[in-house]
Amino acid sequence: MFSIFKEHRHFGKQILLLAKDELLKTYKGALVGPLWAVIKPAFTLFVYWFAFSVGLKKTGDIEVLIHGNNLEFDRFLFMLVGFIPWFFIQDSILMGSKSIRVNSQFVTKVSFPVSTIPTYTVLSRLYVSLFLSAIMYIYVLFNQGASLYNLQFFFYCPFMFVFFLVFAWSTAPMSAISRDFENAVISIMAGVFWFSGIVYNSYDLPEPLKTIMLFNPINFFVNGYRNAFLYDRMFFEYKTELVIVLAEFIVLLFFGLFNYSRLRKKLPDVM
Amino acid sequence: MENPIITFDNVTKEYTLYKNDHQRFVSLFKEVKGAKKHLALKDVNLKIYKGEAVGIIGANGAGKSTLLKMITGVTFPTSGNVTVNGKVAALLELTAGFSAQMTGRENIYLKGYILGLTDEYIKQIEERVIEFAELGDYIDQPVRTYSSGMRMRLGFAINVNIDPDILVIDEALSVGDASFKKKCKEKIAEIMKKGITVLYVSHSKDGIQEICNRAIYLNKGCVMYDGDVSTAVQMYNDRKK
Repeated sequence: MFSIFKEHRHFGKQILLLAKDELLKTYKGALVGPLWAVIKPAFTLFVYWFAFSVGLKKTGDIEVLIHGNNLEFDRFLFMLVGFIPWFFIQDSILMGSKSIRVNSQFVTKVSFPVSTIPTYTVLSRLYVSLFLSAIMYIYVLFNQGASLYNLQFFFYCPFMFVFFLVFAWSTAPMSAISRDFENAVISIMAGVFWFSGIVYNSYDLPEPLKTIMLFNPINFFVNGYRNAFLYDRMFFEYKTELVIVLAEFIVLLFFGLFNYSRLRKKLPDVM
Repeated sequence: MENPIITFDNVTKEYTLYKNDHQRFVSLFKEVKGAKKHLALKDVNLKIYKGEAVGIIGANGAGKSTLLKMITGVTFPTSGNVTVNGKVAALLELTAGFSAQMTGRENIYLKGYILGLTDEYIKQIEERVIEFAELGDYIDQPVRTYSSGMRMRLGFAINVNIDPDILVIDEALSVGDASFKKKCKEKIAEIMKKGITVLYVSHSKDGIQEICNRAIYLNKGCVMYDGDVSTAVQMYNDRKK
């Protein structure tokens, strides 16, 4: 059951190296190389912003109810802060779940701590996310100024990393065995974006949707980044939301550990 | 008698062959009924002791690769137990498990960690590996820039320089040009003199008779004979007739 932890012991340095390696693999051989890590999300953000403010004529501010008051935020800033965690979540779910399959030489040719494959893959996306967060923070500083609440980034970001790492531990061995499972993940992810409050405020939905949305962990992190950078709100203020995400995390952790130890020995035979 | 270095205790290995992707998908959640099974090894019992040079002989599909994969820890038995007490160097797929973007030097560390070595230990053998692989300045270039011969040399150099307890050799191994081949042969002979355990896999009698003092003849997943080399080779040849 705890084979994942066993496999990670003494492999820390290699995970760091392999994560770096993964980044190089993604961005090397292109003219502007690592710049793509910024260009691609920037373009995505621009397209969504364009669709909303020009296409749907939702220009101007977005209203968010905080501490009983309706506060207004610039729509671009609101979307920017929401997109940063979303880019990480999207990449770590998609790349994490195919990570074992695309690294099959580590499974079928050598005796390798296989569970570290999703770890270094997701870690490489964290590097990108930290870089994007820094750029975002510069923009936030110019628009909002600094605040102590910003420090909550150091809670939300590591928690988000661990949460979706555990998720990748569960999905990666399943995708390696069945391509159908991987395709299912990809298809679901295409729609999940719209079920998460990235371009809109999930707290602002009518009941019971608002409550249902609390069960989507992506909302927790997207709203979390906004708590830290826009809303000046602490992570424990909305207790129901926090409790739900913690409970989900524990269930996911046990499922991930169980699922991996169940499928580990099958992997080299079916890949 | 001392403890064996490799023990196979009633080892059976069964591969499940899924008919289609539907069965594969279902297999994620439950046992698939009606999926075909392929029995690769059946009730294998083996004890191999330190210092033995054991030849494994058999036709294609006899279970040789499965046996070796279990010793190298790549695959796992369906039932029974495999115990290996020592460092295994496998001269099977030398270029496997490299990371193409990392430099040769970084890959030495990666392979070392996979084999369970410590930092200090790898540092000690690092220069020996580089020298043996004859890579020169290329050692700090990414492995993707290497020719296939260079990759093999690096793979070979790592495996023979880690002071293994068990050396697994496939007869069909190719490591590049004639002079390097000779060097490899000499290196293998040198480490064999140190009294390590050798497993030598072959389709034919050549080599086995030269190197081994014990041979195992596998047929259709069963150990047909385990003992002196000439009898094993004799049985294998008789079957072919």
